[in-house]
Amino acid sequence: MEQDRRQFLKSGSILLSVVIGGSMLRLTPVAAREAEVPYQVLSPLEVDTLEGLAEAIVPGARNAGVAQFIDKQLAADFSDSLLMLKYLGVPEEGYIPFYQAGLASAAALSQARYEKPWSQLSAAEASTLTAAIAAGSPSGWSGPPAGFFFFVIRSDGVDVVYGTEEGFAKIGVPYMPHIAPEQPW
Amino acid sequence: MTQASSTDPYDLLIVGSGAAGGLMAAKAAAAGKRVLILEAGPVAETHHLVSSQKWARRHKWSGAAVEEEGNLKIGHGFNAGWGTGGSAKHHYAVWPRLHEDDFKTKSLYNQGLDWPLEYRDLQPFYDTVQEEVGMSGDAAAEVWRPPGASYPMPPVAVFAQGKAIQKGFEALDMNVAPIPVAVNSRPYKGRMACIYDGWCDAGCPIGALANPLVTYLSWAREDGAELRNDAAVTRVLHDSSGRKATGVVYRDAKGEEHTAHGDIVVLAAFTVQNARLLLASATDKHPNGLSNSNDHVGRYVMTHPSNSVYGLFPEETMPYMGLTGGQLICHDRYKERDKGDAYGAYQWLIANALKPNDLLGIANTRPDIYGPALETFMRDAGARMGNMVFVGEDIPLAENRIVLSRNRDQNGVPLPKAIHNITAPTEAMCNNAVAEGLAIFEAAGVEAPWQGPRFGMHILGGTIMGDDPETSVTDAYGRCHELDNLYVTGCGLFPTSGAVNPTFTINALTLRTAEHILHSH
Repeated sequence: MEQDRRQFLKSGSILLSVVIGGSMLRLTPVAAREAEVPYQVLSPLEVDTLEGLAEAIVPGARNAGVAQFIDKQLAADFSDSLLMLKYLGVPEEGYIPFYQAGLASAAALSQARYEKPWSQLSAAEASTLTAAIAAGSPSGWSGPPAGFFFFVIRSDGVDVVYGTEEGFAKIGVPYMPHIAPEQPW
Repeated sequence: MTQASSTDPYDLLIVGSGAAGGLMAAKAAAAGKRVLILEAGPVAETHHLVSSQKWARRHKWSGAAVEEEGNLKIGHGFNAGWGTGGSAKHHYAVWPRLHEDDFKTKSLYNQGLDWPLEYRDLQPFYDTVQEEVGMSGDAAAEVWRPPGASYPMPPVAVFAQGKAIQKGFEALDMNVAPIPVAVNSRPYKGRMACIYDGWCDAGCPIGALANPLVTYLSWAREDGAELRNDAAVTRVLHDSSGRKATGVVYRDAKGEEHTAHGDIVVLAAFTVQNARLLLASATDKHPNGLSNSNDHVGRYVMTHPSNSVYGLFPEETMPYMGLTGGQLICHDRYKERDKGDAYGAYQWLIANALKPNDLLGIANTRPDIYGPALETFMRDAGARMGNMVFVGEDIPLAENRIVLSRNRDQNGVPLPKAIHNITAPTEAMCNNAVAEGLAIFEAAGVEAPWQGPRFGMHILGGTIMGDDPETSVTDAYGRCHELDNLYVTGCGLFPTSGAVNPTFTINALTLRTAEHILHSH
């Protein structure tokens, strides 16, 4: 198992297929962000908030591509969606409003407490806000139930950080695929 | 505008390509019948079964929304499947038999309902199915097992997690047995043996697990059954008398409407969808929906109440090895279902293989952990976690039901709404089971075991079978009381839930119905 883990760690990061200037490229989530690959559904503020919140819940989520993951799923046909939200009783037409409303509340919370977006919060500030959302009753929250929203963002973060060959290796679990996925999502 | 895509009636028109639809099609096609299977979801083949809990979500329900209410929602999004093979494509193939008492709880315990048949009526069909598709287990070790043929294959392997938890059961003088599964412990009829990598939930592409893609549905297609994907059936048609089904209307992927005709129409969609289709097919002859003059279509919907128990063991458990469905099973409490304030049988499925992510993955066993502590937990749990889940009996209640919503899907068909509550005796049974599970883990050396949230496993009832047309939807063969050639299959027929995974019984019941149809029509 240790051999497998070393092999995975050396093999590099997750690669996404993205289209830039009409060409298909394989980039890491970090490189895709630096190349300013456009998001299809999420606004810049929503991306900022999502990455900040997900990173506070699941360290590594930002660079693992949590925003790219969710944006791609929200832009996809429902039957192609890989979001865990699929299991949780939220109807198809409610997916985008679910994320948008939750992220708007999280962004408003950050502004109300610290007068800055999530990307500019210190680790301690992000942790304080995350704890309030996890507890389910942050003041002024108007999106989906805060505790449920926390659970979903946490699961999404876990999906991108731990739900890949690299993520399995990170915690010493062998991936052992029958058919290895060609894409992380 | 309805387009008639086929004016020639098929001998059998089957709605749904899952466990029941595949078996029905296989038997009919083998007998030389012309069979058309209409599947609402897309094409799925074994090479689509990618080893990833994210990609596996494409195989879960992606059709019209199911609205849910109640103190124990049925969890349609997780329980139901999508595409060729239906739910059985990603099922875990845990195949215990119902117990003899499950068929007569009303008579024996004054709870629930009696079936219109008994275990002995179903036993030969269980035996035939397990030989046809292959099962692994140790019948002698299942001291609670009702009469039946031994398994054709030896048990699946038990790994460190199973052995660690087994110590707890033994310390409390409880029995465990190798889990009975429709998974090959050795090569069987040209299909490979399991390699225990724990990807069952994502679907087994090597064919070790007996999903429809490699068993009955595959055999049906080899014998000429036609499978039409992306065909969402919107209503069942009948003749002017109202006594004979003539076919169905369906929409294709482009939204175009078609009809298909059959001498016999078999509803083999998922539990909720079968009831929905009967209700949504109302006509002047059947103003409350087909076979629903008694207002029983949709009633007695059930789900197995379940909780997982978790713990970190002193020793390494390799929790990622084995089968998603578990390594061991315990039915010691099955016959102790009536305990005064508590009612309900239950089983333990022990040492389920875990992956890091997903609803049932390692991370979500402790949803309260986040931030830097999460990786520490993930590493620790990835090495030392143990888990098991109890599957409890649900009492069938008439007020637990599937009804039509005011909202409609893209085809104009009313959405289903599923209302499901458990009552105090079931709640007490669940609490007893969880307390027992925590005690078992403590006896196995776990310092601080914990429980997961309650959830509904499997969806049953809603189109129950019975002898009395006034209090049931179909007869003992699944034939609708009010339409002579309209059959319903699947665990929607079950008048009681028992406390076992239903797919083996679905297969046995469907085989019984298939033989009946082939002999009587």
